[in-house]
Order: sequence, then C-alpha cells, then structure tokens
Amino acid sequence: MSALSRVGPDLVPAARRVLLKRGPLLLFGALLLYLSVASSAFLSTANLLSSLTQAAPIAIVAFGLAVVVRGGGDDVVAGGIDLSIPASAALATAVISDQLANQGAGVLRALILATAAAVLVGAINVLLVTVIGLTSILSTLAMYATVVGVVRVYTANRRITVDDPTMLFVRDARPLGIPMPVWVMFAAAVAFWLLLHRSAFGMRLQAVGGNQEAAATSGIRPRPYIAASFLIAGVAAATAAVVLVARGSGSSPGIDERLLVDMVLATFVGSAFSRRNVVTVPGVMLGAILVALMSNGLILIRVDNSWIDGFKGVLILIVVAAAALQNRRRA
Amino acid sequence: MAQPSSGREPVLEMTNISKAFPGVQALDDAGLSIRQGEVHGLVGENGAGKSTIIKILAGVYHRDAGRIVVDGSALDEVTSRAVHEHGVRFVHQELHLVPHMTVAESVFMGHELSRAGLIRRREMRRRAETFLSERLGADLDGETLIRDLGSAERKLIQIARALVDEGARLVVFDEPTAPLAAGEIERVFSAVDRLREHGVASLYVSHYLAEITRLCDRVTVFRNGTDVGSLADLDEQDHREMIRLMVGRELGQLFPDRRPERGEVVLATSGLGDGATFSDVDLEVRRGEIVGVAGLLGSGREELIDSLAGLRRSRSGHVELGGQRARVRSPADALDRGMALVPRDRRNDGLVLAMSATDNINLATLPDVARHGWILRDAADQRARRMVERLDIRPQAVERPAQLFSGGNQQKLVLARWLVAAADVLLFDEPTVGVDIGAKAEIYELMTEMADRGAGLLVASNDAAELLGVCDRVVVLVRGRIVATVRRDEVGIDELIALVTGSEEAPADGGTGAGGSPATDVEEEAR
Repeated sequence: MSALSRVGPDLVPAARRVLLKRGPLLLFGALLLYLSVASSAFLSTANLLSSLTQAAPIAIVAFGLAVVVRGGGDDVVAGGIDLSIPASAALATAVISDQLANQGAGVLRALILATAAAVLVGAINVLLVTVIGLTSILSTLAMYATVVGVVRVYTANRRITVDDPTMLFVRDARPLGIPMPVWVMFAAAVAFWLLLHRSAFGMRLQAVGGNQEAAATSGIRPRPYIAASFLIAGVAAATAAVVLVARGSGSSPGIDERLLVDMVLATFVGSAFSRRNVVTVPGVMLGAILVALMSNGLILIRVDNSWIDGFKGVLILIVVAAAALQNRRRA
Repeated sequence: MAQPSSGREPVLEMTNISKAFPGVQALDDAGLSIRQGEVHGLVGENGAGKSTIIKILAGVYHRDAGRIVVDGSALDEVTSRAVHEHGVRFVHQELHLVPHMTVAESVFMGHELSRAGLIRRREMRRRAETFLSERLGADLDGETLIRDLGSAERKLIQIARALVDEGARLVVFDEPTAPLAAGEIERVFSAVDRLREHGVASLYVSHYLAEITRLCDRVTVFRNGTDVGSLADLDEQDHREMIRLMVGRELGQLFPDRRPERGEVVLATSGLGDGATFSDVDLEVRRGEIVGVAGLLGSGREELIDSLAGLRRSRSGHVELGGQRARVRSPADALDRGMALVPRDRRNDGLVLAMSATDNINLATLPDVARHGWILRDAADQRARRMVERLDIRPQAVERPAQLFSGGNQQKLVLARWLVAAADVLLFDEPTVGVDIGAKAEIYELMTEMADRGAGLLVASNDAAELLGVCDRVVVLVRGRIVATVRRDEVGIDELIALVTGSEEAPADGGTGAGGSPATDVEEEAR
C-alpha cells in the first residue's frame, strides 16, 4: 500500500474506477486472447464469419431490448426491460416457418403475419406495463413463459423445415464475401442507431427513461414513448426471426432459451463501451459479437455445451454487479 | 380586450382565484398581477397557496373560480400547452435533468432541432453553447454530460431550457436557489437580471427574503390562500413588513436566547478524514453546547456529518464519544453509543411515510416500549402523544400516517424521535431547509431545548444566519479543512459568508464559546 501510494495516491482509486467501468470488457478481452492462443482455428476467417452470423439474431433482439431499456431507464428492477423478446422471436420464427411450409403462403404474407404476432406480444406488454402498471421485469418474464408455451402448442413442439428459396437465399448468399445474416444485422444496426441516437424520438425516449418528471415538464408525455418502445421491440423480434428461420432452415424448439441469455449479456456488456455507460446500439452490436465469439471459441476448445450456459450466467452477474457498484459509488 | 396602452400592461393577471381540495381551501379569492419585464416576488409560509396558484397557472390543477389573463388574452381552460404558447415558462424547484445526457441535449429536451426526423446535433450544440454564454453567462461545452456539472450549472441548464426558444414573456422560478450553496446563487441572480434586461418578466418564488429584496421590483405576499399585500421598491427594511404580512402578526424572535451551560466533552474527533472530501478535522462538542459546521456544497460538510453518523467510512483519525474511542459503522451503531442523526432529507431519509406518527416517533427506541420483543401499543401511543403535544405537532392524531402531515410537521416528527431517544449527541444536517419561518422558530426552540437538557449538538448548515442564530460556536470548512472557528458574537453574517466562500482570511481561533450574544432577531432572516 505504501509503495503504491508513493507511485501516486490517485493511482489506486483510478485503477479501481477503470476496473469497475471497463472490467467486463477486460474480462472478455482476456478470454478472447486466451481463446486465440488455445485454438488455432479461432482467428480463422471461417470462424470469425460464422461468429458474426451467430451474432446477428442476438444483436437484433438486443437492439429491441436497447430501445426498451432506454425508455424505461437502466435500473434493473424498476427500470425498463423486455425479457419476452426472445419468445416473440421464437413465435415469429414459428409463424414464418408454418406459413411457408404448411400454409403455402408467400414470403411477404409470412413476414406480415409474423411481425403482427410479435408486435401483438409487445402490445400486451404495453398494457401490462403502462396501463396496469406492473414492473416490466415481472410482466415481461411472465409474457416470456406464456409466449414460449403458445409456441410449443402451435408447433406441437416439433421442428418445421422450410425450403423457401428466399430463406435459402438469406442463408447462403454472401455479397462481398459476407454472409447475408450479417448484412441484415448491419442494416438493423443502422436503422436502430438512427432511431435511438439521431432522431427526436430517440432523444425524447432517453429523457423519459432518464427522468420521467424532467421529460413531463419539458412537454414530453412519457407513456406513448414507453408504449412505442415495446412495440418496436416486437418489430426487432420479427426481424431476428427472419435470420433465425434462414439459419436453421425453419423453426426448431428451444431457440428462445439461449437467445434470452445471449441478449441480456450482449445488451449490458455493450453499455461498457459507451462514454456515458448507457446502452447504445453500437455497444449492443459489439456486445453481441463478443458473446458469439466467446460461445464459438469455447466450443472450439471443446468446452462442454452445458458449461457454456453456466459460464454466461456468471458473466451476466459480473457485468450487472460491476454496473451496480459503479452506480453506488456515484450516488 | 386589453389594449396595450403602455409598457406597464400586466403580462399576467390572475384575479379572484379559488381552489378547494378535499378538506382544505387552498386558494380563496387570491390575486396576482405581474407587469411586463418586471421581476415579481411571491412569498408566503408553507401552505399559504403559493404552489397551488403556480400549479394552476401551469395547468396542473384546475381552478374552481377566477379569471386568468395572460398577455392580454383571457384563458378559459388553462393547459400547459396554452400557457406555453402565450410565453409562460417554468423553472421547477427540482433539478429535472438526466445525468447521462449532454448539456445540448438537455437544453433542447422536448423541443429538439431536427430535419427530416433526424436530430441536428451540431446545430443544437452550437445554439446551446451560444445561448448559455450570451444569455446566462455560463461558458459550457455542449457535449459535457450533466453528471459532470455542479448544481448551479445544472440550474442554469434548466433555465436555458425554459428560454432557449426565445418565446418567453414570463418565467416562473420556483425556489431556484434551494439546492445551491451561497457562492453559487449569484449565477442564478445574474441570469434573472439578464432576463429583465431583455424585457422578460419573472415570477420569483422563494423562502429567502434577502433574495427577494435583492432581485425583485415588487413582491406579493400570500397568507391562508389569498394575497394579503404587495410591496414595491424593496430593500432590507421591508423584511419585517413581509414577515408581518406572512405570519399575520409580529413574530417575536426567530432565534431563542440562551446562556449555555457547558459540561463534559461528548463528541470529539481528531485528525478525522475520509481520504477525499475532508481531512484533519479536529472537533469538540460538549454537553449543552451547539456547534455549527459551515461550508459550501462540496466543502466536505455533508460528508463529515455522514461519516460521523456512520453513513460513510472515514479513513484517518478517530472519533471519541463520551470520552471513549468509537468506530461508528452505521447509524444503528451510532445510536447504540448515544449519537443520533437528524438527516438532511427528512421526508425521504427520516420518515417511513406509510407508518403512523406513533411508529415513526418510536422507531429508534422500540425496546423502550416493548416487552420480550412485543410492542406495547398503549405505551407507544402514550409516548407519541406526549411528544405530539410537547412539539405542537398538528394534527394531534398519532395514528395518522406520516405522509399526511405537512412538511413542517413531518420535520417535527423526526425531531420527536430523537427527543424520546434522549441521545447525548445529536447531528443535524440542514435542520430547516424548505421550512417556513414559523416552523423554523419552533425547530430552533427545540434544538435549544435539547442542548439545555444536556445533549451536545452538531449542526451543519448552508444558512449563515441560522448558524449564527442558533449555535454557540461555528467551525468553517473550506475544501475539506477547518479554516476557522468563530463564536456567534464575534462575527456577522457577512463575515461568516466571506469565511465560508474563502474570500476572507481566517481570524485567530475563536476557541471557547461561552455565552453567545442573544437575540439575533428576525431581521437577520437572510443568507
């Protein structure tokens, strides 16, 4: 301690601050470094591209979550969160697959119905959160369970295989050598970035989430903004569904589970990338890519699949705990 | 209708305004008239109807009766949109800002500049910076985050938000200096002065009469839901008249006389520091003594009190309670050793709002009214009733939840808790912030009574008049260090403020503080 304080009394608190703020990123950095040393395949183009492809659905649902978190505030309990997005994505995936494979529908009709279904889930969330006044973590968790149940009944818990040419195109096409799902992710990122960071709507949404009274006294009525955020999350879920259907050539049971953990992890890891330490669209995308890289890398070094989920759970706890500690220091 | 005959045409005319809430006539035939370009003060005790009439103007409440004319047009239905269109803007008491938003974003909150749906960030930044520097005298970077600003700067951002569209004809300031320290207030004042230069009228609501006389051209006094008088050409001599109108009688003295009997040392610190906000603090509080701690926001004043109370860890030095070294780790720990904190934000930190007055009063001393862990309701009620009577808490209904008492009475409920606790050392943080003059006098009386019964009091406050009025000695903190200790009869308010703001060198140590001069009278109700 005395040796340290000779180096500079401000060094220790400064180091602690950096560790708290950037700790989750440092952790990821160390892990990725280890993975690239431990597996020669990790840094191969093939693995990087496949990781990006896997990141696509995670990033897209996480964009939806980012919108809800912005509008509800980033307090994990009282703030805004939407855990039902992965279930909506699973629902939309099932609807697209069923329409294309069993109902003989065209792609456009399948997409419209899938979006409607996901937005309907969002609308129910709006009812629960803004009209009835439940906390969003509680109501969307219940909605997650409900919608997952609906999907199981709807699909009889079976796989639906899709061989629609448009979906196969999304799966196989590689413009400029980059897989189509990655392009979809980039396009969604630009759209959500404009919406959240460059539109008056996004700015007002942030005001609503940051301080509802401030927003109200500035002439912004909070409720419509919060309502819109849940509906937009539904649109994000439907968009992710397109990538999911293409990647899996249809819908299969259980895709929602991993997506839930990955989405939450990507979103909150992402906030460590931002100057303001809040959830941002670029941060979320980087977060999703990190999560996908990590999952892939762990598989490459033959870590058992069952371990990977537990590992991610611990990571979420570390990230959220670091954020909480930081908030406590600021208070 | 109203013809603009001269520049003295009222920008706002509210007449015969009445408003009743269940059980209370909040406003009864009240009136308020503000001329173009003037700064108009509005004063009155808590509950006099100031906030009600402002909320009616803001469209939050709807009047039962009366007439409202804004800028020549009579408004039948007052909505926030309608008054905004007529150029009325509000600067609310609370800091309505988002910590992680930038200065530019905050200034333009609600009226963002956009083109084709997209925000014009650079334009917003430029306009915000220009407006802040030219109109409010604040040179800030538009990209700075709100959380990196001081509270005066945050207030200026709020003012800028109200004014930046240049459509303001009348700005309503509700207690704008409440969260600010003495040195920071001048920046808000000069912002109001600049408004007047630009012909924008202000309605300025404040508890601080000195601010009213410093800033306002005229003042309207409210009492019991109606306007009881107006004064113009204000100066310090008008304080007494304002107070007379506010309370409806001559108020004898704000601060009680006292001749302290000092006993042994009950609280002592030596070399106390928290490694960041204060250091090397040596203090001594004796039985029967009231010691003040003066300091600006950020001087370490709040942190010192918090760390004594166990809410914050100290890193160096030590504390002695009753002559014995004590490590206080939490307020409960402190209470076990006979030291209690009456916190700054009583409504939030001091009371459990949903619990009854009885429960709140007995909260810290439940074992006294319990047997084998079971609370004896009768004993608890009796004790609460005694305190309610003694402190004149109204209404005298001990089973009523704390949230249904008015601000001043809530304050007294917290005080009652520590009176029954019979603590040896009492720490007060801002004991009268946001309290009207009548309740202030009562709180000072109680503090004095506690000291007379043998407790030692340490009082941290932002209000120099209060410290000199009620304390025997005042230690002055500047940037975390004690720079002076003064006796109440040694210095005036101006000198204390000069010491606190660091604009004057410390005099020789005042040392012992036997027998302060009595009778600091209401006329010194000033900062």
